[in-house]
Amino acid sequence: MAKLGPTPDAISTLLANPSPKESSPIPEIVVQVVDLNLKGINRYMFTASDGKMRLKTMLNTELSPDVISGKIQNLGLIRLLDYTVNDIPNKPEKYMIVTKCEMVSPALEMEIKSEVSKDEVKGEQVGIILKPKQEMVTKSAAQIMHEQNANMAPAARMAMTRRVHPIVSLNPYQGNWTIKVRVTNKGTMRTYSNARGQGCVFNVELTDEDGTEIRATMFNEAAKKFYEKFQLGKVYYVSKGALKVANKKFSTVQNDYEMTLNENSEVDEVSNEEAFVPETKFDFIPIDMLGPHVNSKVLVDVIGVVTNVSPTMSIRRKSDNENIPKRDITIADESKKVVVVSLWNDLATGVGQELLDIADQSPVVAIKSLKVGDYQGVSLSTLSRSSIFVNPDLPEAKRLKSWYDSEGKEVSMASVGSGMSPSANSGAWSMYSDRISLSYLKDNPSLGEDKPVFFSVKAYISSIKPDQTLWYRACKMCNKKVTESLDGGFWCDGCQKNAEECSLRYILVARAMDATSEVYLSVFNNEAERIIGCSADELDKLRSEEHSLYEVKLKQATWVPHVFRVSVSQNEYNNEKRQRITARAAAPLDFAAESKFLLEEISKMKAS
Amino acid sequence: MDTSNPSVFVNAELLRLYVGRQVRALIQVVQLDAGSVIGKSTDEIQLIVKGTPPFPLTKFVEVIGIADSDKSIQASIWNNFGDTIDTHAYNQLCLLANGEFKHLFI
Repeated sequence: MAKLGPTPDAISTLLANPSPKESSPIPEIVVQVVDLNLKGINRYMFTASDGKMRLKTMLNTELSPDVISGKIQNLGLIRLLDYTVNDIPNKPEKYMIVTKCEMVSPALEMEIKSEVSKDEVKGEQVGIILKPKQEMVTKSAAQIMHEQNANMAPAARMAMTRRVHPIVSLNPYQGNWTIKVRVTNKGTMRTYSNARGQGCVFNVELTDEDGTEIRATMFNEAAKKFYEKFQLGKVYYVSKGALKVANKKFSTVQNDYEMTLNENSEVDEVSNEEAFVPETKFDFIPIDMLGPHVNSKVLVDVIGVVTNVSPTMSIRRKSDNENIPKRDITIADESKKVVVVSLWNDLATGVGQELLDIADQSPVVAIKSLKVGDYQGVSLSTLSRSSIFVNPDLPEAKRLKSWYDSEGKEVSMASVGSGMSPSANSGAWSMYSDRISLSYLKDNPSLGEDKPVFFSVKAYISSIKPDQTLWYRACKMCNKKVTESLDGGFWCDGCQKNAEECSLRYILVARAMDATSEVYLSVFNNEAERIIGCSADELDKLRSEEHSLYEVKLKQATWVPHVFRVSVSQNEYNNEKRQRITARAAAPLDFAAESKFLLEEISKMKAS
Repeated sequence: MDTSNPSVFVNAELLRLYVGRQVRALIQVVQLDAGSVIGKSTDEIQLIVKGTPPFPLTKFVEVIGIADSDKSIQASIWNNFGDTIDTHAYNQLCLLANGEFKHLFI
């Protein structure tokens, strides 16, 4: 296709033939005139460009009138009819003197750069852009120099010469990037209303070739624009997003930064040939270390040998009466402990069935993004974002298989959740792990800055103020707060229903004390019932009927030892950071176990 | 209460060191006789406790009194400790209270 532009490799040709003889014909050489300027009174200089290489050129003074008349223009094309290429003394560069030339075209729109088009000598196709590394290798040194000298802006304009950055290199201070990512999670579009009005928002999780993940959020216009565009599992080029430090409380992926895309951001789908499967990054937790993760918001990855697969069960969901398929598999690992993983929905029917069929081969299974629950002590549960890999090609899998084949098969393994005192409630196993004294919380006021931190504490309730609001009105169905509606009932926002009656649920702050210190402890319904010994409804009755007995009841709750599982986080209150300690679980003190624990502590102290 | 002679936490092994002194021990009741109780100390050795126990008597009882031999105590105070207790914890207490942390107790 004849495109108006310089002759390909014109400069190379010129350099190869610095002094053409008068007799032999000069090959067709057309160059683009760039940086045309006047030196001295009547001497014009420019840089001759063929799109790839450049050469400093001087126009013979005879040709100056051509420049003045406009025949030779900057960014125009000229055909060289007679020239000489000379060396510059003491410099590696060369320069050219043009003595005869003719105009081919007036100024073009811009400096022609070598596009990767069909005219390109190399003849490589689209593939070249997406493997920039390869392209670099095949370029000559001169071409690289040219590119470094050349103005890069026009190149960035063209979709072809896209340079892909790894997510790990993104930061808020560098805006000129493009990433190539797969959508590994797509959230739903949510509407919200705040002081500024209404809006809609949704977010996606993007993963690149290295396996690094980042969360991208879109609001309002951008949300509407990209919601349809982003499809789960497809690969896109994304650029012109804004980066900021991630809010750890809400982040679901491991990345210090999170991205916001606005209407100016670019999202282009990548055609199938170039699509890749991002390497799934795992962070396996050994089964015997799952305890501390119980009921935590953080999702875990596990790998283990499947020792048992149950048939599919159908569970009815209370909230909407839907029937959901479920399957339980038991996995074991080198820690000689087993745990039950509940597979839900498609995972139960799909992969679950596959595992059942090959169960006798003791397959290794790696699972990503599991929720850790406290059923039977410790249990694992899949979410919609969990992914299961059967007999994956990972070194951990190979190790596990060889361990199982040699010794694992014979060993009788205990469930990681067993061996906990039966009287204890959820999280009781951890009543003896992460044990601290309350002074530790006082000494470290900035605990739980990013994400809440959990500890066990043995403490006594020292006081509960009888005058504070001890409870809130709750919906009997979903326990969310209800508001009094005009016609006498209670409106629940969660259930979108009006109810005649509501229940009272505790929400109070008590003073808790141990041998070292005293703190304010926020307590919710379940734990408060344990501490006070009756439900909020009953206490309310007592308060209104026999106020003195009510006060006695609160006093009776004091100076009783409890073991609490607490979470510590930071709250901002009038621009001040305050430590907020919440009781997540409360259990009565088991003296025998506590004595054992104390004896261990004593022996630890003696040893150090 | 006479605090001039504080009671030492003992098991059978430690009892012989404090013959003639006021001691206290946790005993698991094995057999009731007239005027005495045969019991097992927290380190599994049989001891005789002289005196009149309270009625009803629980399985575990703490006795405070003078040690009159390395195998018997003349009890003046009896405390019912119920039917379930971790004797190991008590035993460890005896060892610690008479060993490293003696200065805290006597």
